[in-house]
Amino acid sequence: MKRSYNIRNFSIIAHIDHGKSTLADRLIEKTGTLSQREMEDQILDSLDLERERGITIKAQAVCLDYQAQDGKDYLLNLIDTPGHVDFTYEVSRALAACEGALLVIDATQGIEAQTLANVYLAMEHDLEIIPVINKIDLPSADPERVKQEIEDVLGIDASEAVLCSAKTGLGVEDILEAIVKRIPAPSGDNEAPLQALVFDSKFDAYKGVVLYMRVVNGAVRKGMKIRMMATNKEFEVTEVGVFKPAPVNVTELSEGEVGFLAAAIKNVKDARVGDTVTNALQPAAKPLPGYRKATPMVYCGLYPVDNSDYDNLRDALEKLQLNDASLVFEPETSVALGFGFRCGFLGLLHLDVIKERLEREYSLTLLTTAPNVIYEVHLTNGDIEMVDNPSLFPSPTVIDHVEEPYVNATIIVPKDYVGSVMELSQEKRGEYENMTYLDETRVMIHYSLPLSEIIFDYFDRLKSVTRGYASLDYELHGYKPSNLVKVDILLNGEPVDALSAIVHREKAAVRGRALVEKLRKLIPRQMFEIPIQAAIGSKVIARETVSAMRKDVLAKCYGGDISRKRKLLEKQKEGKKRMKQVGSVELPQEAFMAILKMD
Amino acid sequence: MNTWQQYQGIYVHIPFCVHKCLYCDFASTAGCDTALMESYTQALCKEITARAAELPVAADATIYFGGGTPSVLPLPYLTRLVTTLKDVGLWQHPQEATIEANPGTVTEESLEALRQLGFDRISLGIQSLQDDELRAMGRIHTAQEAVEVLRQARQAGFERISGDLIYGYPGQTLASVQSSVQGLLAQGLDHLSVYGLTVEEGTPLQRKLASGTLSLPDDDTVGDMYDFVTTYVPQQGLSRYEISNYARPGQESRHNMLYWRYVPYLGLGAAACTFTGQALVTNSCDIAKYNEGKNRQIENLTQPELAAESLFMGLRTAQGVNLQETKERFGCDTWSRYGRELDQAIHAGLLSYDAASQILRLTAKGMQYGNQVFAIFC
Repeated sequence: MKRSYNIRNFSIIAHIDHGKSTLADRLIEKTGTLSQREMEDQILDSLDLERERGITIKAQAVCLDYQAQDGKDYLLNLIDTPGHVDFTYEVSRALAACEGALLVIDATQGIEAQTLANVYLAMEHDLEIIPVINKIDLPSADPERVKQEIEDVLGIDASEAVLCSAKTGLGVEDILEAIVKRIPAPSGDNEAPLQALVFDSKFDAYKGVVLYMRVVNGAVRKGMKIRMMATNKEFEVTEVGVFKPAPVNVTELSEGEVGFLAAAIKNVKDARVGDTVTNALQPAAKPLPGYRKATPMVYCGLYPVDNSDYDNLRDALEKLQLNDASLVFEPETSVALGFGFRCGFLGLLHLDVIKERLEREYSLTLLTTAPNVIYEVHLTNGDIEMVDNPSLFPSPTVIDHVEEPYVNATIIVPKDYVGSVMELSQEKRGEYENMTYLDETRVMIHYSLPLSEIIFDYFDRLKSVTRGYASLDYELHGYKPSNLVKVDILLNGEPVDALSAIVHREKAAVRGRALVEKLRKLIPRQMFEIPIQAAIGSKVIARETVSAMRKDVLAKCYGGDISRKRKLLEKQKEGKKRMKQVGSVELPQEAFMAILKMD
Repeated sequence: MNTWQQYQGIYVHIPFCVHKCLYCDFASTAGCDTALMESYTQALCKEITARAAELPVAADATIYFGGGTPSVLPLPYLTRLVTTLKDVGLWQHPQEATIEANPGTVTEESLEALRQLGFDRISLGIQSLQDDELRAMGRIHTAQEAVEVLRQARQAGFERISGDLIYGYPGQTLASVQSSVQGLLAQGLDHLSVYGLTVEEGTPLQRKLASGTLSLPDDDTVGDMYDFVTTYVPQQGLSRYEISNYARPGQESRHNMLYWRYVPYLGLGAAACTFTGQALVTNSCDIAKYNEGKNRQIENLTQPELAAESLFMGLRTAQGVNLQETKERFGCDTWSRYGRELDQAIHAGLLSYDAASQILRLTAKGMQYGNQVFAIFC
């Protein structure tokens, strides 16, 4: 007998700030899963960082008990998805674990690029999409326009869109009913061998890796010997359970159900997102489709400001990696910075989050070199080198040509800004693909852009030329040949490897000048004059000088002053500690990011 | 008894001024409120009596009346303070008894009276010999008056006279600083303190700079002023015995040297600071609170903190610090604790070390970039 008729698995798709977390909180509250007293705003964002930034980084799952108007009891599994382009693969796995999705759109804003990308993902997985128009309590809400947009842009029937206000709770009951009535029950086979899709994982110091999964066929219970089909690792299940939202153990999870599993798995690498869990003694013939290893798109060097923190940094990275299989790192040495690690990230947000966690949770003071993409360097001898560190870029004499990663970018913007967006994208070496009117006022533009330009300052510039109206989404498309050169920076005549950058040849002179100017402003005056040069090979393309500091001494220090003066000196020393000694020059951390932040 | 087990100097703070200067953040109050002066003198005499036996006091302990402007306190009050100090044995046979005075607050008669009270050294807050600069600083005197006071002080019998100057003040130029320094030395001064302006938080000067009403001379101009002062003054026979202080041989301020040698001194009066050899004790800077005997702060220092302070204070002087003495006093082996940084500083030409005498001192370059060295110990 099929037991899953009363289960509904769904996720919420929304643009940042369109109210996903608030709506999730309301659903938890309305179904009585948590009493109002237990509610802490935005339950699902469990990392401090997630709460502070108002974004979701890790997927989460909550099991809601709901008695519908038809009098029957339902189990609603809400699978929350990360809300950022860096984590598209994680989103796709979370969506693959669902039969339906709530598409939450701000009644005052309309569809945004990120929403669009996720809706298309949901459509690929044949999810039932329920449009929910949120924030209808706001005076500027225009639900009719938004409905029209949903129909025109997404081709989804919006006549039955649910109007709601997650803030006031209006319409939340209607959403729950829509979930029960419109999202299909899971259709798995209870008799078939176990197949469960891992859509996230988390490291727990006591239990090992905890897998978040959706059972598609069969059942899993405590004591069962399981096999991870991608890695072929086998484990014995120590716990299965569901989140309400606190973890509650259950005897088994069977087809259609969503929950967690612990099996004394020591490393997230052994149980990756997208993998299929099966019964080791009676394995499924095939894994569930869609597994791939997350590949880093952005690389940078991480160095401890204090060299003696190197081991602590390695320990911290290893611990974070337990929880985040997409973080990769390997030791590297920089002439300028000493010992550190070259780290790969899914994107800039991912980089930021990891850096912030390292500094906050492990009290490390870190220096980040400017992030870069991976270049595919074709050598004259026919070899191909993948270069993830500008300082390792081969000499021009052995390079046949270089290719760099391009993305397909989708930009949604009010029509008045189309000109500015095209001008900017052109400047950023973009190749125009096409343009569609979403309605009378909004336009969707597609460009093929070098990923390096996105990392550089494309998004900031886009926001500024469109006064914040543009939304952007992109996906990696492939490599294309580019005329790239390495620009080196010399301080006091010595090249500083960590400041090298790969730039397009035509822009090298402009970027070199801008960079040395920026460095001149950033580098504090020191006891001697510091020439700053930008060079391609041995040819200097720009030069600036930081003149010498003339004096640095407390003029007065008598009896009553000593403590206060000591504190001033301590402060000066603290400031010095945050600087990195490169040869004879002290560099502030911002210097290494200067290439990214040029105005 | 070791010199660092008894008070070697007595500081008395007089927190009154005719007018508060724009750059000043010392404890002082403008205007001459006689009632306040009376109650303050009473409180101060009470403190002198109460603390006379706190720690042994050297019979030749130096005396220093600073402020504020001690010379604005009327003579009868000053006399009571001096008498009380003598009565309780704090003022016996001082090596030196200095009083600070500002032009515009003294006359030939009052200077004679100060001399009579026993003061044998006077430190004059001259600051500049340019009238426009003096006005801009909020000083009450003119250049002419400053020169006149010098003559009067000598007339009154002061053989040891010091003048203060400031450089780097808004509106100053290299030429105007040169003219003030040269003009003052032409008067035959034997001791000169020349301070680079420090902009203190909360002063009217800081607010004016923040709002853009005033602006400082640029770094290179101030650098040129520094170069001029540190070269020219020694050429006139006043050697640079501390970062900002110059004197002919034997004319150094013995009292101020105590601070830099980091030996115990007793501080009396509002905002005055006492160093016991282990702790810094600071009186309330609020006159009313001080009068009630309230808000005294005690900061007990650990051995490493004591060692650190003694090092960066001592390095301010041309004679430097004797590391053997640092070890005896604080149990601190300077080389094992700071060796790497000290070697770097020596390599950078900021410090010199004489292994035979174990004396560490700043080079000329080290004096210029002293904070880079001082911070090593903090």
